Amino acid sequence: MESLRDIRQNIKAIKSTQQIMQTMKMISNARIRKAQEAMQNARPFAQKMMRMVDDLKQDILSMPQPEDGSESWAGRIFINKTADPNKIGLIVITGDKGLTGSFNAVILRSAIAFLREHQEKEVFLFAIGKKGRDFLNRLKMKNLHMVYESVGVFPKISYVHADLLGDAVLKTFLEEKLASVTLIYNDFKSLASQTLRQTQWLPFDFEQIVQEKEESDFEFEPGMLDIFKLLVPRLLKANLYRILLESQAANLAATMNAMDAASKNAGELVTALGVKLNKVRQASITNEILDIVNGAEALNS
Amino acid sequence: MSDKKLMLNLITPEKQLIKDKPVDMVILPALLGEMGILPGHVKTVVQLGMGSLRYKVDGKDEEFAALGGFAEVLHDEVNVFAESAALAGEIDEEKEKQRIKALKESLSNKDADIDFELAELEIKQAIARMKVKKKHL
Repeated sequence: MESLRDIRQNIKAIKSTQQIMQTMKMISNARIRKAQEAMQNARPFAQKMMRMVDDLKQDILSMPQPEDGSESWAGRIFINKTADPNKIGLIVITGDKGLTGSFNAVILRSAIAFLREHQEKEVFLFAIGKKGRDFLNRLKMKNLHMVYESVGVFPKISYVHADLLGDAVLKTFLEEKLASVTLIYNDFKSLASQTLRQTQWLPFDFEQIVQEKEESDFEFEPGMLDIFKLLVPRLLKANLYRILLESQAANLAATMNAMDAASKNAGELVTALGVKLNKVRQASITNEILDIVNGAEALNS
Repeated sequence: MSDKKLMLNLITPEKQLIKDKPVDMVILPALLGEMGILPGHVKTVVQLGMGSLRYKVDGKDEEFAALGGFAEVLHDEVNVFAESAALAGEIDEEKEKQRIKALKESLSNKDADIDFELAELEIKQAIARMKVKKKHL
């Protein structure tokens, strides 16, 4: 039988773990508010930007094509017909730490499924978050290239991170003639739930922009091509930035939920152990009384 | 000045600094020199350099340091997508100087694990902010 002291120690240990978990929950809770604010602040940029690309749609589609039959820079980004169909890119955004329930596992499982599906192709990997990077680096599949990794950026995502990632992806995309770049991440749906998303980041999907526009009447200062070379990466990065912020918030929400569940479990454990403690204590008291009574009986007789 | 107003939006990737503000005139720090925009301007897309973005409303001036990016000019609307922006009056010269100093130090340290292009850009931005601040005073 466990001694009283053992049980008391056990309870104490669980209680202190519970305290840590509650603190972690509170920290995530506070950070989530900041993350949501950042998401809201980033929204107008992306929205206005989409509207502007919408305004410029005609100009983009009618960009002059090089005469030698090669595809223009903008053509590569938007239509991408000269790409090498056997090369693709994959961006995986996970958290840096565990203790988030199934947050990372869901992403990694879907990344594996993606890689299996494209086994025959060369895949260029971009990993954000330590969990994803470590996992992808351990994979023993051939034809994988880790191009870019960034760890320890959560929960302090800023536009700079999206900028660096965007540059790395665009550079690889253009130099290696990738056919597409896919993103796998968790979307922030609500405090209680995150949804796994798998979207195509490149080539840029024009179907996102529905509205038909009449003739274009814009002037460009300096030249149209110069503007587009600046504008399109910016649009893509604004998009990336939004996604990074979403997964940051989702990650925090997952931590919060996991810690909440864990501290509830700890609470249940403490109650159960408390009951056990009382039983053991009463049993030992009963034993002692029995001893005393027996002793007294023995003296009397 | 005419009754017509321009709707000004100043947005950085991280924040919207000005939202649908009616103004009389906007002066943009275009890459090839400053550019004044009045209501009814022909639709244009402009690449921006680092410099001061000013606007006039009811005879009063406001000045921002706008660093890089571009602007979309419509007939009655100006959308500025700046890489970074700060209200001229709120720029702290001492802080900028310190930032430049720290960045230069880390640039000269060969072992430092930093992104050189990024650090250089930050130095340029800090210098541009200080210039706008000096002119503003």
